[in-house]
Amino acid sequence: MKLLRRDFLNKLGLASVAALLAGHVFTWVRSLFPNVTYGQLRRVKIGHPHEIPEGIMFFNDLKLYVYRDRETFHAISAVCTHLGCTVNHTKLARPKTVEIEGKSVVIDSEFHCPCHGSKFYGDGMNYEGPAPRPLEWVRLEIAPEDGKLVADLDQRVERNSKLTV
Amino acid sequence: MNAETKVANLKPNGRKIFWTFIPRSEKEAGESIVRNLLFHWFPAKTTLRSLSWSYSLWLGTITAGLFLILTLTGAVLMFLYVPSVERAYQTVKDFEYVVSFGAFIRAMHRNAAHLMVAVVFLHMVRVFLAGAYKNGIATDQNRPLNWIIGVVLLLVTLFLSFTGYLLPWDQLAYWAVTVGTNIAKSIPLVGEEVRYFLLGAHEIDQNALIRFYVLHCFFLPLVVLLLLSYHMWRVRKDGGLACVDPLVLSQEKQKQEGGVKSKTYSLLGLTAGRTVQVETTLRDEEQHTVNSVPVLTRRIALVLLSTFVAVAVMSLFVGAPLEEAANPNVTPNPAKAPWYFLWLQELVSITTFTVAGITFDGSFIGGVLIPGVLVIVLLLWPYLDKSPAAATGIWFDRTRTRQNIVFIAVCLMIIILTVIGTFMRGPYWEFYWPWESWPVLPKVY
Repeated sequence: MKLLRRDFLNKLGLASVAALLAGHVFTWVRSLFPNVTYGQLRRVKIGHPHEIPEGIMFFNDLKLYVYRDRETFHAISAVCTHLGCTVNHTKLARPKTVEIEGKSVVIDSEFHCPCHGSKFYGDGMNYEGPAPRPLEWVRLEIAPEDGKLVADLDQRVERNSKLTV
Repeated sequence: MNAETKVANLKPNGRKIFWTFIPRSEKEAGESIVRNLLFHWFPAKTTLRSLSWSYSLWLGTITAGLFLILTLTGAVLMFLYVPSVERAYQTVKDFEYVVSFGAFIRAMHRNAAHLMVAVVFLHMVRVFLAGAYKNGIATDQNRPLNWIIGVVLLLVTLFLSFTGYLLPWDQLAYWAVTVGTNIAKSIPLVGEEVRYFLLGAHEIDQNALIRFYVLHCFFLPLVVLLLLSYHMWRVRKDGGLACVDPLVLSQEKQKQEGGVKSKTYSLLGLTAGRTVQVETTLRDEEQHTVNSVPVLTRRIALVLLSTFVAVAVMSLFVGAPLEEAANPNVTPNPAKAPWYFLWLQELVSITTFTVAGITFDGSFIGGVLIPGVLVIVLLLWPYLDKSPAAATGIWFDRTRTRQNIVFIAVCLMIIILTVIGTFMRGPYWEFYWPWESWPVLPKVY
């Protein structure tokens, strides 16, 4: 098949216009993916270990439940693993024995999600509703410079791994 | 120089742009008709059938009326609203308590928006049940394409509503963005990027608000306007409402030799096809049609006016609610979406399941997969519908009974889920019968 010069130039012209438009659309869309974000800190000092009260404490702006059992600390994220609402801590009227991954455990509190009704045991294990995974355990560590407790919201740890000070 | 000659002198290219109501010559009178845009907005003739109240229920016209109300009230609100996370809530609160008639204008906007979702949905149901997406007389018709545009318009309407109720930046807004963008995040592989693109950040903040604001006030209305224009244009290209097709088909059987009698206005070259109003496909045209001006225009004016009055009266009694200011630390309990999204909220709540140790997340199944499949089936339906052309434009035609039942069943399921979500879900999304009272929970601040 012979390609006429006129047809070739026509096609070339159209293709250049298409490439031009595509290039511009790309710049517009790309510009909307920010290269820098000015979000909140994800690694936060939450205080000296001895300042943390015994039991459970909720850090509002971190959406984090921090537990203290004498020298042992652990933290559970309050962000529901289903669609990201903040779960509420509910103290049970009397402790109950449940089976978590084959082991029977006594729990005295649960987490409930207001948005779609997901339910978790006190250790974050999901047992009812649409949440597909347990609540995340967040890494706690001691800052070497001043001995304060640091919560690193981007770091996950295994369930039941606690920090002993 | 009197006013009339002044107007007459405005002649770009030797043609007038304004026409007088008191023509001074036959030529001027003729031209003022032939060249007047408003007289050509609609076809010259309209079939009596398509004017019927009971066939189309005029739902499309009502939708257009609601969109007009939304554009007008929305433009006013834009002058007063500030899209910043620090000030958005306060400016919306000012509509309610400070701005003269602010609460009324905002109520008009909100009520019209809710009605638009409902009426667009009903419009789709009507078109389906009447087989109005089908090509009846077949020549140069492409009604399935118009159905597709209609479905896209329905989706844009829903997205407009979603972006709209975010703008007050109250609790409803904040948690709706949280849930909505996390549904997007549940898409495999690209979910994280989609969420980042929607929010313009990893967290919900100013970037997200300004994005939704621009989408709501500029981008999406523009899309609606373009699609709506094409939607209307296609109705004309397809030969008017589908209810005209059976009339033409019934006459075709008894058509005399010599083919179609053509009318003078087809000589104007307005169409290549067989638009009912331009080329006579109908015998005894005078019996079946009337002049569009004033019969059609009068009815349209009546429908638009009624829509406007209905929304205005409603807005005197039903105001637009405003929840507490957005608080990222506290999720309302229960946190409910507006009623038209509650079937989706119900779906994402009940579709997580585990098979052979693998958990399928309800956010994806109920939030993306099921609605996605529904939309795709909806888009393709005209091509799957194998009923005869004679079923075009007829409510509940016998040849379409089975598919009508399926369609109604799906619609009913959506409605039932919506009713459950609206009236039977309490704190922690627990099920309560409407007559049961909810437990009193300590309020978290």
